[in-house]
Amino acid sequence: MTGSKTNNCSIIFSEKIDIKNAPDNLDIDLQLINDQITGYINVTKSKIDTIINITNLRKKHFNLNLNIYLDEDSFLGLRDESEYNFGSNIIIKSKMNKNSIFEYFRLNSFLKTTKNHFIHDIETSSNCEFRDFNFSNGSDEMHNKTSVSLNDENASYVGSGVMISNSTNSNNDLLIKHLSKSAKSDCSFKTVSRGVSRVSFSGKVFVDQDCSKTVSNQISKGLIMDETANINLTPKLDINNDDVICSHGAASGKPDESIIFYLKSRGIPHKQAEKIYVEGFLGEFLNKISNSEMQQKAMKYISTHC
Amino acid sequence: MLNIKELNVSVEEKQIIKDLSLKVGSGEVHAIMGPNGSGKSTIAHTLAGNPNYEVTSGKIDFNNEDLLNMDPSERSLSGLFLAFQYPIELPGVTNASYLKQIVNVHRKHNGDKPIEAGEFLKMLKEKSSKLNIPMDMHSRFVNAGFSGGEKKKNEVLQLDLLNPNLVIMDETDSGLDVDALKSTSEAVNQLRSSKRSFIIITHYLRLLEYIEPDYVHVFQEGSIIESGDKSLANKIDTEGYAY
Repeated sequence: MTGSKTNNCSIIFSEKIDIKNAPDNLDIDLQLINDQITGYINVTKSKIDTIINITNLRKKHFNLNLNIYLDEDSFLGLRDESEYNFGSNIIIKSKMNKNSIFEYFRLNSFLKTTKNHFIHDIETSSNCEFRDFNFSNGSDEMHNKTSVSLNDENASYVGSGVMISNSTNSNNDLLIKHLSKSAKSDCSFKTVSRGVSRVSFSGKVFVDQDCSKTVSNQISKGLIMDETANINLTPKLDINNDDVICSHGAASGKPDESIIFYLKSRGIPHKQAEKIYVEGFLGEFLNKISNSEMQQKAMKYISTHC
Repeated sequence: MLNIKELNVSVEEKQIIKDLSLKVGSGEVHAIMGPNGSGKSTIAHTLAGNPNYEVTSGKIDFNNEDLLNMDPSERSLSGLFLAFQYPIELPGVTNASYLKQIVNVHRKHNGDKPIEAGEFLKMLKEKSSKLNIPMDMHSRFVNAGFSGGEKKKNEVLQLDLLNPNLVIMDETDSGLDVDALKSTSEAVNQLRSSKRSFIIITHYLRLLEYIEPDYVHVFQEGSIIESGDKSLANKIDTEGYAY
């Protein structure tokens, strides 16, 4: 957030599209035609930060094709805490002009039997900051694909993905393209996989040859709670400049029994010990969320779903 | 309070504890001293119920109950506390949240309501102050990035919060500087009572200079080879374990 004040508005998708309290710096045009929602959100500079709360109440498969445009020096917070009980197909293209900040929170619950696809392409300019936080429980078929282009100097991306999978599947692809010098990216992905879950994460960082002073960190970790669960973490680095600081790490495995024993030795029953352990594992990177309200919501999401 | 009879313990099929028998009465402080690899920590973890330690034969009565039939959490709720030699790190969980949960699980076992936030904070401040623990340590993740001394102090803090009647301290003195050793020992001494017993595992005399033991046992190759009073610890300090 840039300032202390915010304009909170809401977009509710049901049988119609209901937009409430849109401030003057927000231009929204959304059309619902044949179960397909198409349109754009344009944000212009304002002294007050703009936050849009999205709620999906549609009783059928949710189809959204959205273009988001952030003008110079603007701020947009996009928050979606919906339950997706009928499946979804969401395609978003975002363009950020210089000095803009885009903070996107998704804390969603998906019905297990649904199919859900999410694609987000982000183009950034100089000094832009894109913050992306996604909390999900997966479904029988789920694909998340995010592509971030850090096109100009000092653009930055910080993102955390948390997937709590209980016999659900999800494929998560993240591509971060460093296309100008002095850009920064920081990505963390964590998953807990139970039952017959299948979770994959592929995180690719591309650094172009002219991109000196790049800083990029990527970490992915998975916790396999049952023998039948499967996690596949694939970090990829394609670095074409020597003057960079890039790190990556991936690890998955069963819970650390020494931690469970430590908790049990303090009187905590096995199931509660396992829950505390999993909550800690997933919550390790929540300090990347600077907004305290959303950090609390993320903690609550983890506690509820794990 | 504690009666260990002819105990044999193996780790990964290698026998570590051999026919150990030991009685600890209410309010007694027993020190177990011994060289590296003699099996001191194996006793500590066996008493706490670590599943990696297999009891192949023997019996342990704790407050007239069969300890070996109890889950580690049941042992804790029955009043047994192990201060770990190497306290475990728990990333993602703040120390304050963790401490509150362990307090509440014991309160629940005793039929009490969960502690109020204000009451817990007051108790935490008071008990942390005794150990010179700064309150900001509790907003950090459990033991993650803590110094060796901070970890050990955090173990003693948990001991104070949980009010157990049998305390096993597994090399609590290692990693503590002189000042920390003194404040930690003072806190432990304040917790001594006629209803609370201690088993203190250590290599060195220095901890026992602050916490006076009633009995000292010398451990070698999984068995007690000699028992005596504090003068035995003095003898080991002067002459070593090969006396």
